[in-house]
Amino acid sequence: MKGYRKYFGKKIIWFLITLVVAVILNFVLPRLMPNDPVAAITGKMAQGVTDASASQRIYEKYQEEFGTNKPMIEQFFIFVGNLFKGDLGTSFSQYPRKVSDILASSLGWTIALQLPAIIVGWLLGNLLGALAAYIRKGFDKVLLPMALFMSNIPAFGMAVIMLVLFAVKWKIAPTSGGYAYDMIPNFSWDFVKSVIAHYQLPFWSIVLISIGGQAVGMRSMSIYELNADYVKYARFLGIKDRKIVGYVFRNAMLPQVTGLAMSIGTMIGGALVAEIIFSYPGLGSTMFTAISGGDYPLISATTLIITLMVLVLSFLLDIIYGFIDPRVKAAQLD
Amino acid sequence: MKKFTALLLTAAITLTGMMSTVSVLAEDVQLPREETLYFGGQQWGTVNSYNPIGTNQNNAMATTPQLIGSRTLMFETLYMYNFLDGSLTPLLADGDFAWNDDLTEMTVKIKDAAKWSDGSDVTSADVIRTFDIGVEIANGVGTGYGPYIDSIEAVDDKTFVIKAAVTEDGVPVNPLKVNDFLSAVLIAQAGWIDAVCERNNNDPTAIMNDAAEDVVWSGPYTKYFDDDQKVVLIRDDNYWGQDASMWGKLPVPKYIAHTIYADNAATEVAFKAGEIDVDQQFLPNIQNTWLEEDLPISTYMEEAPYGVCLTMPTAWYNMNNPVLAENTALRKAIAIAVDYDTIIANAMTNQSPSFADVPRSLMNPTEGEQALYDHEAVADLQWAGNDIDGANALLDEAGLTDTDGDGWREYNGEKISLNAVCPNGWTDWMAAMEVVAAAGKNIGVEITTLFPEWDTVQTVFTNPNQTEYDIFMWSPDGAGPSMPWGRVRQFLDGDLAGIENNWTGNWGQYKNDRATEIVKQIPLTSDPEELKALYTEAIQIYLTEVPSFSLMYRPAVFHAVNESVWTNYPEEGDGRNIPPADCTDGYGIAALYDLELVG
Amino acid sequence: MKNTLRQIFHSSKFVAGFIIFVGILLLLIIYPLINPGNPLEMIGVGTFAEPGTYVSVYDTVTTETETLKLPDAAVKRLGNVLKEADRQKMADWLSAMEIDVSGLDLSDTDALLAVWKENYDETARPAGMTKAERNYYKRLNASLGSLGSAGKMTVTEKDSSGEEQVVATIGTEDYVNVKDVPNTKNLVLGTDNFGRDVLKELVSAAGTSIFIGLIAGAVATVIGLLLGLLSGYLGGLVDDIIMFITNIFTVIPGFVLLILISYSIGQDKRGAPVVALVIGLTSWTWTARSVRSQVISLRNRDHVNLSRLSGHGLFRILATDILPYIASYVVMAFILQVSSGILAEAQLSLLGLGPKTTEVPTLGLMMNWAMLYSAHLNGSWWAYFPVILMITLISFSLNLMNTGLDQVFNPTLRD
Repeated sequence: MKGYRKYFGKKIIWFLITLVVAVILNFVLPRLMPNDPVAAITGKMAQGVTDASASQRIYEKYQEEFGTNKPMIEQFFIFVGNLFKGDLGTSFSQYPRKVSDILASSLGWTIALQLPAIIVGWLLGNLLGALAAYIRKGFDKVLLPMALFMSNIPAFGMAVIMLVLFAVKWKIAPTSGGYAYDMIPNFSWDFVKSVIAHYQLPFWSIVLISIGGQAVGMRSMSIYELNADYVKYARFLGIKDRKIVGYVFRNAMLPQVTGLAMSIGTMIGGALVAEIIFSYPGLGSTMFTAISGGDYPLISATTLIITLMVLVLSFLLDIIYGFIDPRVKAAQLD
Repeated sequence: MKKFTALLLTAAITLTGMMSTVSVLAEDVQLPREETLYFGGQQWGTVNSYNPIGTNQNNAMATTPQLIGSRTLMFETLYMYNFLDGSLTPLLADGDFAWNDDLTEMTVKIKDAAKWSDGSDVTSADVIRTFDIGVEIANGVGTGYGPYIDSIEAVDDKTFVIKAAVTEDGVPVNPLKVNDFLSAVLIAQAGWIDAVCERNNNDPTAIMNDAAEDVVWSGPYTKYFDDDQKVVLIRDDNYWGQDASMWGKLPVPKYIAHTIYADNAATEVAFKAGEIDVDQQFLPNIQNTWLEEDLPISTYMEEAPYGVCLTMPTAWYNMNNPVLAENTALRKAIAIAVDYDTIIANAMTNQSPSFADVPRSLMNPTEGEQALYDHEAVADLQWAGNDIDGANALLDEAGLTDTDGDGWREYNGEKISLNAVCPNGWTDWMAAMEVVAAAGKNIGVEITTLFPEWDTVQTVFTNPNQTEYDIFMWSPDGAGPSMPWGRVRQFLDGDLAGIENNWTGNWGQYKNDRATEIVKQIPLTSDPEELKALYTEAIQIYLTEVPSFSLMYRPAVFHAVNESVWTNYPEEGDGRNIPPADCTDGYGIAALYDLELVG
Repeated sequence: MKNTLRQIFHSSKFVAGFIIFVGILLLLIIYPLINPGNPLEMIGVGTFAEPGTYVSVYDTVTTETETLKLPDAAVKRLGNVLKEADRQKMADWLSAMEIDVSGLDLSDTDALLAVWKENYDETARPAGMTKAERNYYKRLNASLGSLGSAGKMTVTEKDSSGEEQVVATIGTEDYVNVKDVPNTKNLVLGTDNFGRDVLKELVSAAGTSIFIGLIAGAVATVIGLLLGLLSGYLGGLVDDIIMFITNIFTVIPGFVLLILISYSIGQDKRGAPVVALVIGLTSWTWTARSVRSQVISLRNRDHVNLSRLSGHGLFRILATDILPYIASYVVMAFILQVSSGILAEAQLSLLGLGPKTTEVPTLGLMMNWAMLYSAHLNGSWWAYFPVILMITLISFSLNLMNTGLDQVFNPTLRD
């Protein structure tokens, strides 16, 4: 177990360092933009104020409230200090709402949508990829190009096509939102049904896209493994085909886990855009409104949360990888 | 594989966790469709509060004070403005208001029946407190009407006098703005305001941000539910307005609901699907919804422009740019070269009268305003647009020629290069700016479009010293008791030039002494002939000097209805004189009392 | 080299991808020759004209006609105005006004029209009928107007004195040959929200998008390659530092960085090249990592050691002894970067963070405008579907080539 501790310890340190850099980037980048959002709020609040000194007072008041009159470095430490308290600041575009309030309501929807979609897409993709590698022949000839084609449809394109076909044209799925327009959230079966109905389209559009990429990768890996020497040797020893295939796929799976860890950022990025198309009440839509509203506390908080999600997921995958890869296991046990 | 099962499990738990955080209400969890009127295009983003004296409520349905008629579902105004004929119908007020002869004092009565939701009477004290707190904490009421109203004084419980602010020579500053007060300001209860002030230690910011959980209202609806995805109001069956002195009945829908959509596209889908009854949104090519898609959708008018256009989105020239300030010919040339028919067909998909139908002026296209000036007198100054030859001739004549042969004209040896700006994502405006840029290309004036985010645009164009934008788009106000004077002021008032954080008007910083004088004279003039002469002269100056040019006409509010559940909405020529104001704004709310279920 | 090329072109996947890609490139080159002009020109005044051939109505009037007696012409003409459903609706209106239509044969046009014309009143408000329905009847009634006429239509023109002069009299059996009409326009993919020719715009946009992809891919590959080479070959502290940076930017999603940077640049400064550069700058990590691991496996090979012993400099060793061995790998990485660059531009544009409009069309901007004008909701498929298809095809062809190359260079993957 000592070996594992070292492995995980290293991973955790990496996780923390990256987190710090991510926080810095998320703080600095949106603040580099040219315009002054406090002036924008003042504009909104001071509509109709004809007296210049009065609007100047309002401006200073909000500057004080948002701390934008302090030097950048001081703002950063305040930002980090508040971060520890779970305070992400006040939204500009939805003033005086707290950013944490806004995120709290959208984060759940995004996690509930994306996590299962990515996992299901990954599982289905790998299954198909493995089948393609094992069966080869016609299945492979048809499936691989198809999977490749599918994986190249941009996420928003898939979302638009599904929206147009299923919701607008055939009307078998709702068009937008997280639950039916005539419902008020509650714990009834009807409400759950409505949530699920609204869930399908965004879910499948994400799944369909990730299937393709995963299947292609898994197929290559499986073929690679099937032709490896140990397989020939095992065959030579007369070990049953089923058993060999089990090993092969297990080995082929390992790089797929790493692959997932590497691509999870891109996948989430694409899925966020899909959310916008379906007006799904998740982070994607929040980010979209934040961008169009020039709301940088909200922008940096959303991107930070997304980064955090990706970080945690890759961290978890690293851990899982440590457990299932015999090589890591062996190395740590030395 | 076990690990993935575990992950799936985590996902399931997250989902349940998420559901448990959603606030839950006991009673009706599914709003009965036949008792609910759904809105679209009004509420964007989550509701902050139901605080009628705050400024950050972001609550479109409950607290929207506006000149074209405030939304009186939860809080009420003294009078309801009707943009069809400019009339004011008493709501909380009783009968007509009365000005004294020198327009310094206005007497208003309050209906005997008018009551707050807690059963107490609406009194003069409430109106006075609403105004006073506005001045104290500098909210919209205070900043908007403080300069024009000196004080409000009670005569008795149900009668009060508004004393207009007067200048040093004893002339009222602007009686028209006092009229605005009557129909735009939502009255809050004095007792409740006192309670809010006390719990916030009289801190203006805290008062304006107060959550107002305990608010007292006078309107027919009150808060029922709101979250990130919707806001629902429920009818108050004790509403005072069912008294015979007001409506004599309750509004028909029990619930008013507004789903919060991410964008126009999502709203459009929902509207077409019948999930929205009344849609305040620009729908490009709306006629296709009935011509091609066979949907039960209708508008106030059957034919284009389908709605009542009240305003004219305008391209303003920035006079801080010397090229524009020093060359009236350049300003006029660009204006006459622009192809307005394309803008109207493209940006507005013909939901605007053309400039051939309604020649350009400072007036909106309603008959009332059009009658206020002498069309003949300015006919020679009009232009139809897309007049490339004319524009080129003007520029050549003014000596703005292409001296170095690069295809672009120069002024003082420098290439004239302008930008045309509007906020990013405002599609119809962006399309209009593209057409303006195309016109520039035709007359050898380089115009490039620039679409910064909205928050950038608003900080720049309200800054009196800005030089970033050369031609930028903004709309003057549509309608209201003080119109069209207010609009003339927005176009021509030189006194507005140089004001910091200027939301009021004259965003191009144009200065013309005679025009500024006219702006001052109009509110104090009551003789119709004299008024007409003043308005006509203002328009003459405007069309000659071209400090800005309107690009299209546009409704102040869009109003389209899907009649799959409700019908009997206001329509042109139905004799009810209810404006197409989404059944909520000003006198438009009268429509709520007449709605019928389909079938 | 020749051998490798031959091998590559034996891979069916590569060839398929190559053919699609070259096909797209050819389209980009040839189409502007056939249909020259500014792709952003607004030829249509309205929005979203349907695909099809447009014939100048003005010109047809004065074009030589032939008389054709087609047996089903009248039926078709009638069907265009009065559909089955319309007949039923007419009966519904009459019933709603309490007029007895029980004896009426709905397929008998003349009888139906007679009853209708006698009873229809525009101002009537049948109980329970919505405004939308009343509007429908008004339109229907107006379109019925021409049905009863004898079938001759007269076109007149105002002459200089303001008199109406007859230009042509058109009968129901007059036909013009489309070839004789001087002005026809074939809009294969209709027009977009600005009235631009979608096909022309699409071709130009695909070009820009491929350009963005190439720049982004080149930037990402060059940075990734340099860092990967240095880090892998030098090892030690340099490796540690480079890997530190690389690891951080691998974990922080490129998409997030892309959004943040594009946002802080501001719309007015975001030209297509800038966007391409930003995309490239946020997507090199993956190349750097893979190049590094390849280099590590190469760095202790004999020929590299030999070269080092003979005193060759760092860049010479990297260029002559290492690069050729990983060249195929780099090419493949480059291809993938190009395809993801195109996709990234499209996604950015959809968020409203793409290149500024009006200068050049890009696939992302076309998509964005189509979405802003809700083309997908009002049935204008031609404004967005070809764009999605184009992105998919470009990306598909690149990936197909990549898979093909992969199979060539990794023989174990071969079919």
